[in-house]
Amino acid sequence: MIVAMSETLIKNEHTDDTRYEIFNREFMPHIDSMYNFAFRLTMDEDDANDLVQDTYLKAFRFIKSFEQGTNAKAWLFRILKNSFINDYRKKSKEPSKVDYQEVETTYNSEEASDTTYTVDLRADAVQELIGDEVANALNILPVDFRTVIILCDIEGFTYEEMAKILDIPIGTVRSRLHRARNLLKEKLRNYASTMGYDS
Amino acid sequence: MSESLNTPSVTGEVQPQQMKQKCEHHAECLKVIQAILDDEATEAEKDHFRENIDKCIPCIESYNLEKCIKSSLADKVQKKPCPKNILDTIISKINS
Repeated sequence: MIVAMSETLIKNEHTDDTRYEIFNREFMPHIDSMYNFAFRLTMDEDDANDLVQDTYLKAFRFIKSFEQGTNAKAWLFRILKNSFINDYRKKSKEPSKVDYQEVETTYNSEEASDTTYTVDLRADAVQELIGDEVANALNILPVDFRTVIILCDIEGFTYEEMAKILDIPIGTVRSRLHRARNLLKEKLRNYASTMGYDS
Repeated sequence: MSESLNTPSVTGEVQPQQMKQKCEHHAECLKVIQAILDDEATEAEKDHFRENIDKCIPCIESYNLEKCIKSSLADKVQKKPCPKNILDTIISKINS
């Protein structure tokens, strides 16, 4: 089961009209955000199309477990993320698959020995980068690091919402985000120096 | 978040020669700076930030860099509209 149900919610029966009404009012406004999230996870238009469709059909099927008044966008993102892990990640066309545990272990060990870790990058240089360069730097991050940056900085979710979407503790959200940003700075640094924006 | 948190500057009472050129615990400061920008800092972190941000050059530079990256991600990265055929397929499937 993709969506966690509480006991009170299972009793919640909707008529067909209510289901369509909730679907249109609560779920449809997020379809552009969902599509962009799906595309940035899969890096493939066909997979993104399938992932968004699957997510919305699941959302409709399990609409009883959506508690009205709660954050529909976070609920949908969680379904999409789970579908991605369960159905798409294995067959992902992404060329450079990096095992998340491997990356996290590497970063943990590096962080232990390098507490003054900094990237030589200036705000002025980032200011000069165009959207495609920023997007490309983001897109080449391993998917788990890419995900936390998308959720936080592009979609504006709180740490608590991210913890629920990703099924991880808030402390892990915070540390993963920190590592993701260090990695992103390295990639941005490469773009900035290629473009001659570095000091 | 108060206005002073959004706009750290070196123009306060602290003179440039009194400012720290090196930050001996920058990795920790960077975590606080990110939490401040994400509006997720604890009260203790906010206090620490308010008291120290104008005294440390590496931290001011990091604050400006992190803020710039965050706003670049939010504002510059292109958001595509969901293709209409996906929308149509979803609507036709839930109605069938």
